[in-house]
Amino acid sequence: MWFPAFLCLFLFTNTLAPCAEYKYTIYFYNPETNINNFASLKKEFDLYLSRFGGYQFQPFSEREIFEKLISEKKDGIFIISSWHYKQLRENISIEPILVAVSKNKSTCRRIFSTSRIINDISMLSGMNVASASSEDYTKNVLIQMFGENKGAVASSIKILSVPKEIDALMSVGFGMADAAVTTDSSLAKLSAINSKLHDTLKQLLISNETLLPIVAVPKPQDENHKKLAKIIKDMETAVEGKNKLSMLGFDGWKILNASEKEYLEKQ
Amino acid sequence: MIKYKNNLINNTTMLAAILSKQGRNRTFPAFFFILFSFLSGYTNTSYPDTTENVLIINSDISIKNYSLAHTGFKSVIPNPKGEINLGNKWKEKSETEKIIREASPAIIYCIGIKAYLFAQEVTNDATVIFSSIINWRRLTIKENTYGISSELLPSMQLTMYRYLFPKTNKIGVLYSKEYNEEWMQQAREDAKDIGISLVGIPINKKTNIASALKKLLKNVDAIWLTSDPVVLSKTDAVTNIFQQCNAANIPVFTYSEAFIDAGATLVISADIPTTGKQAARLTLDLLSRQEKIEKVNTPAGSHISINLKKVEENKLLLNAEALDSVNQIIQ
Repeated sequence: MWFPAFLCLFLFTNTLAPCAEYKYTIYFYNPETNINNFASLKKEFDLYLSRFGGYQFQPFSEREIFEKLISEKKDGIFIISSWHYKQLRENISIEPILVAVSKNKSTCRRIFSTSRIINDISMLSGMNVASASSEDYTKNVLIQMFGENKGAVASSIKILSVPKEIDALMSVGFGMADAAVTTDSSLAKLSAINSKLHDTLKQLLISNETLLPIVAVPKPQDENHKKLAKIIKDMETAVEGKNKLSMLGFDGWKILNASEKEYLEKQ
Repeated sequence: MIKYKNNLINNTTMLAAILSKQGRNRTFPAFFFILFSFLSGYTNTSYPDTTENVLIINSDISIKNYSLAHTGFKSVIPNPKGEINLGNKWKEKSETEKIIREASPAIIYCIGIKAYLFAQEVTNDATVIFSSIINWRRLTIKENTYGISSELLPSMQLTMYRYLFPKTNKIGVLYSKEYNEEWMQQAREDAKDIGISLVGIPINKKTNIASALKKLLKNVDAIWLTSDPVVLSKTDAVTNIFQQCNAANIPVFTYSEAFIDAGATLVISADIPTTGKQAARLTLDLLSRQEKIEKVNTPAGSHISINLKKVEENKLLLNAEALDSVNQIIQ
């Protein structure tokens, strides 16, 4: 009588054992957003992923640490900005497979908004500009917006890094910053919430269209990479999964098409 | 003078004496511990010509919010002339004073009230920039005093309420005319701009807060608990407010994470690292002698905590899209 009971217990604990160990990880780093809710993100994503087995989510705030990890780790997949991927792709063997979608779009534009009257780009020199992206990324966007020959104006800009794009826009509207660099979708959100404040902002410059963050896998892919990629792709089909994606600012994912792949491989 | 750069500075002083001199009846432990200048070499943006003459005084770096402000400041100005931590050890005030006077900083960044009062006591000609001080208006602001307030503008908070809860249209506020009449007037106008009706009930020290709140709860979708000193005059008053709101199943939106355990549904406060960065920007603007500098700046970043269990209990319609703006989710 004791032996079958022991056997059942043994089999039961061994069935649970693989779930107790982490298999693969989603590594996340995005310089386009100043996401600082890492504790909540990790908790929420780990909870969601736990239903599929021992997967976990690992967000990063330090670019150098993330870049070191991405070059070494093969036990997971990466959510990174398309801008960052373009910088990494020559040195690191990873393959982009999915791109984020927000409001049925996989692209966005950055907009330079100010409440000041500006007649010439040189008037922007020394301005305090609020941004929810990293300083590196914001400067890069500014150089592209201003044009190469206005590099001195772009470098004179003082970036005030704020936690959210809505903070950046409100900072301009309420006088804490001279201008803001945000996505077009954040401006649309502000327009819906506080149209009076939105109307005080002039949209002075618009960036080229860029891809939203992507999911990339190490080469060569194995079965676990494929399973985890499918879990990520399917998140939008469950309410809980969709809510977790909302924390990253997306509605879902789609498979990269040929033109998006071409964009990612271009300099 | 770069004499104190990279040196370990140790000293203490007596805060109680300073506070007493300032006419405040507080009995803070009067312990000061002065520390260090461990200066990191890493930076994204460096300002080698302008950072030498800045000193940071932190009230107590072991307090999380003070440490966050310190780090935020150093992310913009990584190499200040010196950094002092007024911690919790006893020593003589005079030694610290001497160190500061010898350092002769052009600008002192003070984190927290202890640091601010200490700097005001020991320096005359240095420009002082403060942050992490609740209700800065009670301070004596000298000509060379600047700061970053700890309170978000009401319009910022209301905009976030609208963003997170698009169907919450009537919000109630208890406020004292003595301290917040103007604030309330402005908040009412700001609320109107975004389609929120702000219902206020003025109170004074003799008002029965429970009855005023009872009246308010019948007429609103949520209560906005602000830092009004009359409303928050007693600890049990706060407990009663949360009990009444809970019984009426009305959510409480407020300004401090200290109220999360009491049952707040939503907390929107200033993002502390951003206030440190703002203080650093202000420092650079002052050092470069820019014109038109605001004396006290409003926080530019917000920190949002939301209790999803309470959201469900209160049957609030949450805009899921706004979750990317939430820093802390409580389940």
